[in-house]
Amino acid sequence: MTRLRTWWSNPWRRPAFLATGYWLYVIWSLVPVLIAVQFAFNSGRSRSTWQGFSLRWWFEDPDRSLWHDPSLREAMLNSLWLAFFTMLIATPLGVALALGLARWRGRTARASNLLMLIPLAMPEIVMGTMLFLVFDNLYTAIPLGRPAMLLGHVTFSVSYVVILVRGRLLTIGPDLEDAAQDLGASPIAAIRTVLLPLLGPAIFASLMIVFATSIDDFVISAFLSADASSQTIPIKIYSTVRVAPTPALNALATVMLLFTLLAVGLAVLALRVFRRGEKGSAVEDFATLDL
Amino acid sequence: MTFHPRERRIAGGIDRRAFLRQSAFTAAAVAAGPSLLAACAGDDAAGGGGQAVPLSRPDNPVTLPTFDDIPMIADGLEPESGPLKIFNYAEYIAPQTLRGFRRQYGVDVDVTTFTSMDEAIARLSGGQAPFDLFFPTTDVIAKAALGRLLQPLNASYLGNSGNVWTQLQDPFYDVGAQYTRPYSLFTTGIGYRVDRVTQTPDEYDNPYDILWDPAYSGDLYLLEDDREVLGMAMLRAGEVDVNTEDAALVDAALADIQALDDAVNPRIGVEAYTILPEGRATIHQAWSGDVVNAQYYLPEGESIENVGFWYPAEGGGMIGSDQMSVLVGAANPVLAHLFIDYLLDVDNAHTNFEWLGYQPPQTSIEPASVVADGLVPAHLDTTVIRPEDFDNGYQLLQLSLAGERLWDNAWSTFSAGA
Amino acid sequence: MGQRVVDVQRRRLKPRDRTRALWPGLALPGVAWLLAFFVVPFYGVLAVAFGGLDPIFGNAVPAWNPLEWDTTVFGDVLDRVVNAELREVYLRTFVYVGVALFLCFLIGYPVAYYVSRFGGRRRGLLLGLILAPFWINYLMRMLAWINLLQEDGYVNDILTGLHVTSSPVNWLEGRAVTVVFGLVYGYIPFFVLPLFAALDRIDRSVIEASRDLGMGPLRTFLRVTLPLSKQGMLAAAVITALPMMGDYYTADLLSGSPRTSMIGNQIEFFLFEGSQKNAGASLVVILSILLMAAMAYYLVQTDRATRELHRS
Repeated sequence: MTRLRTWWSNPWRRPAFLATGYWLYVIWSLVPVLIAVQFAFNSGRSRSTWQGFSLRWWFEDPDRSLWHDPSLREAMLNSLWLAFFTMLIATPLGVALALGLARWRGRTARASNLLMLIPLAMPEIVMGTMLFLVFDNLYTAIPLGRPAMLLGHVTFSVSYVVILVRGRLLTIGPDLEDAAQDLGASPIAAIRTVLLPLLGPAIFASLMIVFATSIDDFVISAFLSADASSQTIPIKIYSTVRVAPTPALNALATVMLLFTLLAVGLAVLALRVFRRGEKGSAVEDFATLDL
Repeated sequence: MTFHPRERRIAGGIDRRAFLRQSAFTAAAVAAGPSLLAACAGDDAAGGGGQAVPLSRPDNPVTLPTFDDIPMIADGLEPESGPLKIFNYAEYIAPQTLRGFRRQYGVDVDVTTFTSMDEAIARLSGGQAPFDLFFPTTDVIAKAALGRLLQPLNASYLGNSGNVWTQLQDPFYDVGAQYTRPYSLFTTGIGYRVDRVTQTPDEYDNPYDILWDPAYSGDLYLLEDDREVLGMAMLRAGEVDVNTEDAALVDAALADIQALDDAVNPRIGVEAYTILPEGRATIHQAWSGDVVNAQYYLPEGESIENVGFWYPAEGGGMIGSDQMSVLVGAANPVLAHLFIDYLLDVDNAHTNFEWLGYQPPQTSIEPASVVADGLVPAHLDTTVIRPEDFDNGYQLLQLSLAGERLWDNAWSTFSAGA
Repeated sequence: MGQRVVDVQRRRLKPRDRTRALWPGLALPGVAWLLAFFVVPFYGVLAVAFGGLDPIFGNAVPAWNPLEWDTTVFGDVLDRVVNAELREVYLRTFVYVGVALFLCFLIGYPVAYYVSRFGGRRRGLLLGLILAPFWINYLMRMLAWINLLQEDGYVNDILTGLHVTSSPVNWLEGRAVTVVFGLVYGYIPFFVLPLFAALDRIDRSVIEASRDLGMGPLRTFLRVTLPLSKQGMLAAAVITALPMMGDYYTADLLSGSPRTSMIGNQIEFFLFEGSQKNAGASLVVILSILLMAAMAYYLVQTDRATRELHRS
C-alpha cells in the first residue's frame, strides 16, 4: 500500500494512465485502417467477414480487381497526377508567400496574412462551392476536370506550406540573413544562399504535406470533377462504397496508403539528413505550426 | 431535377450492370387515359427575356420549335468517316452493340460520359461539346430543342422507327418525332426481399402502404429523387397528377412522406441492385431495371428468388423512358442517324437489352418472351414493361422553374429531417 | 579606402530599401493566386446567390454588379433557415459538432499532453503515430469503420461477445451516435495537432516551479497548464469545428438517413440535385457568415492574447 502511495505521489514518475490513454488512442486510431488493409486480401466478397487470404482483388479477378478494372487505375493516375503537379506549383508559391509575409509590414501585409489563413478554417464544401461556381460561370475557359481540380488543390495547399515554412522561419530568425547582407550579399542572394538551405527541411516537409493532402482531398475534387475520366481515388471510393463495394476498394485504398507512406517516409528520411546536428526530431518539423 | 437511373451525385464509375438504376423522367406515354395532368404551358418566372419552355403533357402534346438556321441533313448522304462521338451515361450501351456498329460501317465509335443530365446540359449549353449523338431524358428535350442544342432528325435514315411501340412513334413530348427516338424504358415500383417480408405489397389494401409499415423500421430505402418519392406519395393517395405545381398537393405529399419518416426511419439511396440481393434492406423503392440487374449482384449462396418487385399490374404506376437525339454542329450527323437506326433494329435492340437490362420499347419484345429467353426470372415478370403500362401509367415530366422550386423545397424539408 | 567604406555603407543602405519591395514582391504571386482563386470565387458565390436563373436551362446567371442583386431567393432561404424547415438542420449540425468537439477535447487533450510532456526520447515516434491519420485518406478511415460497424462486423462481434448487447446492432441504419462518432474519428487528428503545438510551447519550468511550490499534479494541471493552453485549445477548436460544420460525406457514408443530415447535405442537394443553384449558394453564404463570426472571435482572442504576452 505504501508503495502504491509512494508511486502515486512521486512527481517525476512516468504517467501510467496517460500512457495507457495514449496507446489506446493510437490503437483506436490506426487499427481499423490495418483491418481495412487486411480485408483487401480477403478471398470472398465481404469486407466484414474474413473468408481467407487471397490476391483476388489485386490481380486475379478478371473484372473487378485493381489490376483489371480500368476505372480504378484511372483513378490512381488522376490522383497521382494531381498530387504531383499541385506539389510543384503550391510549394514555390507558398514558400515565397511565407517569406514575404514574414518580413512584410503594414496593413496590406496583415490583410494578406488573413487571406492566407482563411482557407485553412474554411469548410471544404464552401471552398468547393466557390470554386465550382466560379469555374462554371466566370473562368469558363478552364474546363472542369483535371485542370480545375489542379487549380483548386493548389489554392487550398498554399496555406499549409506557408504555416509550415513560417514556423521554421521563426526558429531561424533574421540574424543569419542580416549577417549575410552585412557581408555584402544582396537580399536576394542572402535568401538564396542562406535562408533557402536553412529552410530546406520545411520546404521538403511542405512538398510532402501538399502531396499527401492532395491525394487525400475529396470534397474539392468531387465538386470540380467533370466525368468518370477525372475521378480520383477518394471519389472512386466514395461512389463505389455506396454502390457495389468489394475488397478491391480496400485494395485501392491500400495502394494510396502506400504512396502516402512512401512520401512521408522519404520526407522524414530527408529531414534527418538535412537536419543533422539539430535538436529535436524530424517529425517535429511537421508539427511546428505557426497559426 | 430527377435522376436518371445512371446518375450519381459524384462521378460514379458504375459497374457494367449498374445502369439500370434510374428511370429518367422521360415519359414516353402518349397516355390518353385518365390523366388529370394539367397542361401547364411554361410560365417560368426568372427574369431574362426569351420564350418559356413549353411543358408537354400527355394531354397537351407539344410540337417543338424548329429553327431555320438549324436544318435537318439532306437525304441520301454518304456516312462520314467518323469517329462517331456519343455523349451518354456511363455503360449505357452494350459493348457488343458498339462493336457491331463499328464492324458494319467501318468507323470508330467514341463514348464520352456524363454523370448527370444537369451536367450534360450544362456542358452542351456551354458550347464545349463536340459530340454527335446525345441520349437525353424526356424532361430536357424541350429545353434542349429550344436552347438550340438539337438538330431535327431526317426520318429517311431511320427506317427502323416502325419497330417501336406505336405510342412512342409520335409522342406528346415531341410531336412528329422531330428530334428524338426512344431508347429504353423503366418503371418505378417496390423491390423487396421475398424471404423477409411478412406480407407482399399485393396483400396490403394499398400496396404502397408497405413503405409506411413500422415493422420495417430501419430496414427500408427510398429513392434519392424528389420527384420519385413525392410522386409515389401522391400516387398512394390517389393523386395522379405527379407533375402538379399545386402547393397544397405537394405539401400533402410531403406530409405523407414525413409520416413515413416517423414510422420507418428510411434511408435514401439508389443502389437497390446491390442492397436487395445483399440483404442490406428488406424493402427498397426501386426502378424495374435495378431489380433485373440484381441477379448479377447476388452474393455467394443467395438466390434471385428472394428478390421481388411490385408494380401495379392494372396500371397507374410511375413509368419513364430515355431518348436519342442528334446534336447541332455534329461532325458526323449521318453516322449519328445510322446509329440510331442501328439501335432501333430488332436484333440489335435485343442484344443491347440482354446486356443492358433496360428494356427497349420494341414491339418485338414481349413480356412472355423476355421471361422465356431467361433474361428475367419468372417471378420478376413484374419488371417487364408492356405498352398498356404507358397508357395507364404516369410519367414524371418537366416542370416550370417555379414548380421545380416547389418540389425542391419540399424535398429539402424532408431530407433535413424536419 | 574611403570610397570602399562609402561603397559598403551604400550597399548596406540600399539593401534595406530594396528589401522593402522584396518582401511584398515575393508574396505577390501567392497573393495574386489567392485573389484569383479564393477571393473572386467567394464573390462569385455571392453573385450567384443574389443572381437569377436562366429561363430555358435553369442555369445560374450570376449578378456581378451589386446593384443588380436580387435578394428574393436569399431572403426565402434565410427565412427557411431561421424560422422554418431548415432550422432543425442547423441546430442538429451545431449539436453534432458541439458534441464531437467536446469528445475530441476529452480524448485529444490527454494524448497531446502526454506526447508534449512525457514524450522524452521517443517523441518523434509518438508524434509520428498521432500524425499518421493525416496521411491516411479520410475516406479510407471511414471505409474501415463502415466495415467494422456492419452487422456481421467486428464491432458487433465484440459487443455481443462481451454481452454488452444481446444481438448485433445495425449501426449504419441512420443513428446520430454513429455520425457523431464518425465526425470525432475523422477530425480528431486536426484537433490534436495544434493542441500539441501549443502545449509544446509551454515553458516546462513554469510547471516545475508550480510543483516545487507544492501544488499537486492535478492542481498544477488545472491552474497552470490548462489556462496556458487556452489559446491552443481555441486554435484546435477552430481548425476542427469549422470544417466539421460543412461536412456532408460522413453522414452520407455512415447513415444515409434524413434524420442525421447536416447543413452540408442541404447545400449539396441544392447545388447538384435541385434546380436552384442560387438557393444552394445562399445556403453557403449563410454558413460562411456564421463561420466568419466564429473566425473573427478567434482572431480577436488571439490578438488579445498576443498583446498580453507582449505587455508582460
